[in-house]
Amino acid sequence: MRTFLLFLLYHLVVTPAGLLARLVRDPLSRRADANATTYWIPSDRRHR
Amino acid sequence: MSDLVLGISAFYHDSAAALVADGVAVAAAQEERFTRKRHDAAFPSRAVQYCLDEAGVSFDDVSAVAYYEDPRLKFRRVLATFAGAAPTAFPFFRDAFPSWLARNGKRHTDRTVRRELQKLGRGRVPVVSVRRHHESHAASAFFPSPYESAAVLCVDGVGEWATTTLWHGRGTELTPLAELRFPHSLGMLYSAFTYFCGFKVDSGEYKLMGLAPYGRPRYADLIRDALIDIKPDGTFRLDLRRFEYLRGQTMTGSAFEKLFDGPRRDPEGDLTEREFDLAASVQQVTEEVMLRLARTARDRTGESTLCLAGGVALNCVANGKIIDAGIFDEVWVQPAAGDAGGALGAAQAVAMERGASRDHLGTGRDAMSGSLLGPAYDDDEIGAYLTANGIPHRRLDNGQLAEQVAERLADGKIVGWFQGRMEFGPRALGARSILGDPRDPRMQSAMNLKIKFRESFRPFAPAVLAEDAKDYFDLRQESPYMLVVARVAAAQQLEIPESGATGLDLLRVRRSTIPAVTHVDQSARVQTVDGRSNPPYHRLLAAFKARTGCPVLVNTSFNVRGEPIVRSPEEAYVCFMRTDIDVLAIGGFLLEKSEQPAWSEQSDWRTEIPLD
Repeated sequence: MRTFLLFLLYHLVVTPAGLLARLVRDPLSRRADANATTYWIPSDRRHR
Repeated sequence: MSDLVLGISAFYHDSAAALVADGVAVAAAQEERFTRKRHDAAFPSRAVQYCLDEAGVSFDDVSAVAYYEDPRLKFRRVLATFAGAAPTAFPFFRDAFPSWLARNGKRHTDRTVRRELQKLGRGRVPVVSVRRHHESHAASAFFPSPYESAAVLCVDGVGEWATTTLWHGRGTELTPLAELRFPHSLGMLYSAFTYFCGFKVDSGEYKLMGLAPYGRPRYADLIRDALIDIKPDGTFRLDLRRFEYLRGQTMTGSAFEKLFDGPRRDPEGDLTEREFDLAASVQQVTEEVMLRLARTARDRTGESTLCLAGGVALNCVANGKIIDAGIFDEVWVQPAAGDAGGALGAAQAVAMERGASRDHLGTGRDAMSGSLLGPAYDDDEIGAYLTANGIPHRRLDNGQLAEQVAERLADGKIVGWFQGRMEFGPRALGARSILGDPRDPRMQSAMNLKIKFRESFRPFAPAVLAEDAKDYFDLRQESPYMLVVARVAAAQQLEIPESGATGLDLLRVRRSTIPAVTHVDQSARVQTVDGRSNPPYHRLLAAFKARTGCPVLVNTSFNVRGEPIVRSPEEAYVCFMRTDIDVLAIGGFLLEKSEQPAWSEQSDWRTEIPLD
């Protein structure tokens, strides 16, 4: 039963959330960027 | 009254506890040494108990407890990974998600830590503070270092989000400058190749590093084209389509098989030229990234000293390249550069906030006490153990130990050396070491096969008197914690006849006056020993030099392959009897193998200790 609920959660919530997010911005920033000179993310005192 | 802060790392790998008094480490140990489970990730109850015992305190005397990771931030990264990898990673989600979601699950590790500490029944436990993973690494790298100010670089697999972080350390403050985030991780890249070459992730990486000199980096260009985009400043992104770790099950899959000529090597299968070449290739790429990051660190901070921590700082070959490149005047690597050191760093970060000062600055020394922060056993305890078990032994006078052991070493004997407080971090540093004569051409195979029972390609490492280091190694600075690789000095190298040997046959070629510790590329992972942190060890090296003219010894960790370094006299004796170690020098006692009763065990211990 638990596996089934997780399955539903995964395909009905996690997957659409992931796909939607990737339309805007990949939460994992996977794409390489040939134009960028650096991949550094500057630090501020507060993290998201 | 000292202000005491206890730091904890737990639940991922290398659980540890560290106690800091007024900002200085006074006790630290990895849980694996107590439980005898290598890289033990379980809650470090025994390490905590040890730290409290060493200081003679209870939790009522401890002002603060710090945990080395932010579980709620980590959870957000885990969620982002599930979402980012969907819909193809259901098995990972199904297996991993519940433990995060559960009421007392991984999201609330800090509460779990407090509960576990309270269970020890040693007083009221303060609320547990969390410090971020990379902040813990950075603190462990900078605060105990000898530098008033320094650039700090931490590179590992991943903490919460950050995988690579750059900091500026000044006085008692650490300012974060920039970071790279999961899934882009140099540690993951190295672990992927570790896995693909048939070794265990998180413990086999240094085997891959040891394999690299046997190969040629013929895959390096392919790695740069297909797997990692490296910018001039050393920052990078991985092409995640070629890796499997976002789906959680393994590091690599069919993409690697297609790129690198076939399936992953079976863990106990034969090593082939492909693995040597893959190792050489990923090592070269790793060094390139680390060198570029080091230059960036200097440019961004203007500092002439660098502090390193994080699992990738255990790549001592890369560390050596950074030092050789002269980018910095000096580099200091936290001896417990991996996650165990996070316990220390978290405690130190909290201690600095509570107003601790770095009193050791200006002395030129660091504040790690030679990383000899674990339990010691005095001669009464050792004597009681030996007598109670009817173990034949000889008691020596204070002055005799170095002489007697040096004599046996010079005779080609292999010596188990158990003295003083146990080391904190992965390296044995002359407290729990197995020692041998490095000039003996048979020593490397003897030690590999008859002591460590391990793969024969793995080199051994030297300890050298600090004052004589420059005669034997091209090392620009000291290396007390054995985390730097340097070339053997030209004066010690031998002419190597062209033999056309490749691969493991390279092992048989004698290339220096200290063959047991010279790797096939004329390099060595050096420990420089001065008289200050470990006087008995220094005396031993000096006695060996007086006898033989050679100020170098093979220093390998006191354990068989797969088990953690020995902690107690009993563990030392068992290792001594299971192997071909000839002599055990434990505290003020000397034990000869020839005088020992026959050794037998109920079960075959070789099948019981999991292969690493």
